[in-house]
Amino acid sequence: MTKNTLLFFAVAALMLSPLASFGASSSATAASRPLPSAIGYEPQDEDERGLWLQMDEFERDLKNSKLLIKDPQLNTYVRGVLCRTVGAERCGAARIYIMRTPYFNASMAPNGVMMVWSGLLLRVRNEAELASVLGHEFGHFENQHSLQSFRDIRAKTDAIAWLSLVPGVGNLARFSIVGSLFKFNRQMEREADLISLDYMAANGYDPMAASTIWGQLRGEMDATAKARKQRSRKDMNFGFWATHPNTKERMEYLRKAAEKKGSVGFTDGAKKYRKAMTKWWPRLMDDQIKLNDFGATEFLLQQLASEGWTSDLLFARGELYRARAKKDDLVKAIGFYRQAIAKRDAKAEVWRGLGLALLRSGAKVEGRAALRKYLSRDPEADDNAMIALMAGSK
Amino acid sequence: MRLFFLLSIILTGAAPAAAGWKIMPAGTAASVVDEKLTVTPSQRWNRWSSRPSDYGEIWTIDGLSLNELSFFAGIPSGKTIYHDRQSKRRPLPKFRSNMLLTDIVELFESTNRIVLQTSLFEVGETIPAKLSGHDAVRFRYSYAIQGDELKRNGEAVAAIVDGKLYLVNFVAPAIHYFDRDIDNFQKLVDTIKIGG
Repeated sequence: MTKNTLLFFAVAALMLSPLASFGASSSATAASRPLPSAIGYEPQDEDERGLWLQMDEFERDLKNSKLLIKDPQLNTYVRGVLCRTVGAERCGAARIYIMRTPYFNASMAPNGVMMVWSGLLLRVRNEAELASVLGHEFGHFENQHSLQSFRDIRAKTDAIAWLSLVPGVGNLARFSIVGSLFKFNRQMEREADLISLDYMAANGYDPMAASTIWGQLRGEMDATAKARKQRSRKDMNFGFWATHPNTKERMEYLRKAAEKKGSVGFTDGAKKYRKAMTKWWPRLMDDQIKLNDFGATEFLLQQLASEGWTSDLLFARGELYRARAKKDDLVKAIGFYRQAIAKRDAKAEVWRGLGLALLRSGAKVEGRAALRKYLSRDPEADDNAMIALMAGSK
Repeated sequence: MRLFFLLSIILTGAAPAAAGWKIMPAGTAASVVDEKLTVTPSQRWNRWSSRPSDYGEIWTIDGLSLNELSFFAGIPSGKTIYHDRQSKRRPLPKFRSNMLLTDIVELFESTNRIVLQTSLFEVGETIPAKLSGHDAVRFRYSYAIQGDELKRNGEAVAAIVDGKLYLVNFVAPAIHYFDRDIDNFQKLVDTIKIGG
């Protein structure tokens, strides 16, 4: 990993963490200073110039990242939501990079690089919820919170130089190391939350969505814990969730602030969001299933199926239950695959899943028949030789 | 796969200080994973003293980031492929003795996505094979991880024998190293005997 990448993630982590133990001053964005979202904005001093330089170099690497989701339609859509949220005159300052990373997160660097993780897109239910997160990150950006925190860190330690000595650690691991060092303070988080709320209300997005999203995340953490027979981590401060802890308090103050905005003339854009994401949900759900987090995945599937179970969602549910394969999971999986097939637009993999679930539960004749259907629907599949053997067709 | 190396670093903050290597000479039958397997390599390998689990061991030719060969032998039902070090927050999926061979491929993919923390992990060609005379599955895969986006290719062969999982895995950078050593790996797999 390059030093630039490191620094970026250090700074990205700045934007992801709340509850700071050090007291950064929030008065740095004096009214007399231009906003970083202004057209033609340039760094104002040496610290900021240095930070931008590093971020610009990182951005050049980022453009070539294999994790980047380049789908122009999806990128145009997410940019459209940001622009509607913060206004067309401001959103030009942001360059959005959608990353194939299956966790809930977004960040924005001081030079305008905004990263949106695919796990966020899987978790928000409508445009208003997406707008609340994008608006929040934009709020940090506009108020230059990362620059303030960077100055604080620089004043205290050369931690970034120290970090560059840690060998061979993946960025996600580095995230948690960095996240434990650099944190936004509570005031910054609240500020960014309320800026986002103002943006949403001013531009027609239901501001209540900002509170709702935290309720959903708490629900997901409960679901993970229940399936693993653990205590829920929703009120704990750890890992990714440490990026925004105190979810309960946050949910409450966002709800109260949203109530003051009234409820007239807002939309949540749920239909538009669903339409924009339809193509990507199966892939993102596949990434989620392979995280071995049964409770959260079932929770997210239920959430996505609020408007009805499509063949893709039923297939995903079949895959989830087949992968866990506890007690009557295989029976349930077989049921979900069959429901998917009944929808008549099921893809070939549904027969694969059905056949494998049947074989594993001992229904050999039926299982082989389903596998042969899979092969006839996708004769070029990468696993056709293996499946053909299992289907008894060779 | 470099994941064991990565895990060591993540958990201890540094590369294992006491890691030792033993030369595995060409043409000599070697006992692997507590004598659960024997293998006769056609070229010299180096065995790492650090093990990815109670059921595995790791070899390399030039260093783990350039070529990594891992053997897993006799994993019983209910156990994971690697040490389940983050079992609370990121538990690994467990092997079950009633799995189909294709389930092993899915188990391997899920395990590695979790340990490597990447969604850029794709399984490719999956074909029937033999491991020490037993029915097996052979599959190709490729992946990249965040922050180190060099593409890596891998090939693994797995079988379930007497309800226990046996898996041999080779991974190397897609550029040069995988192609250079994959034939060597396949020849090595052909020499494996389960049961020592």
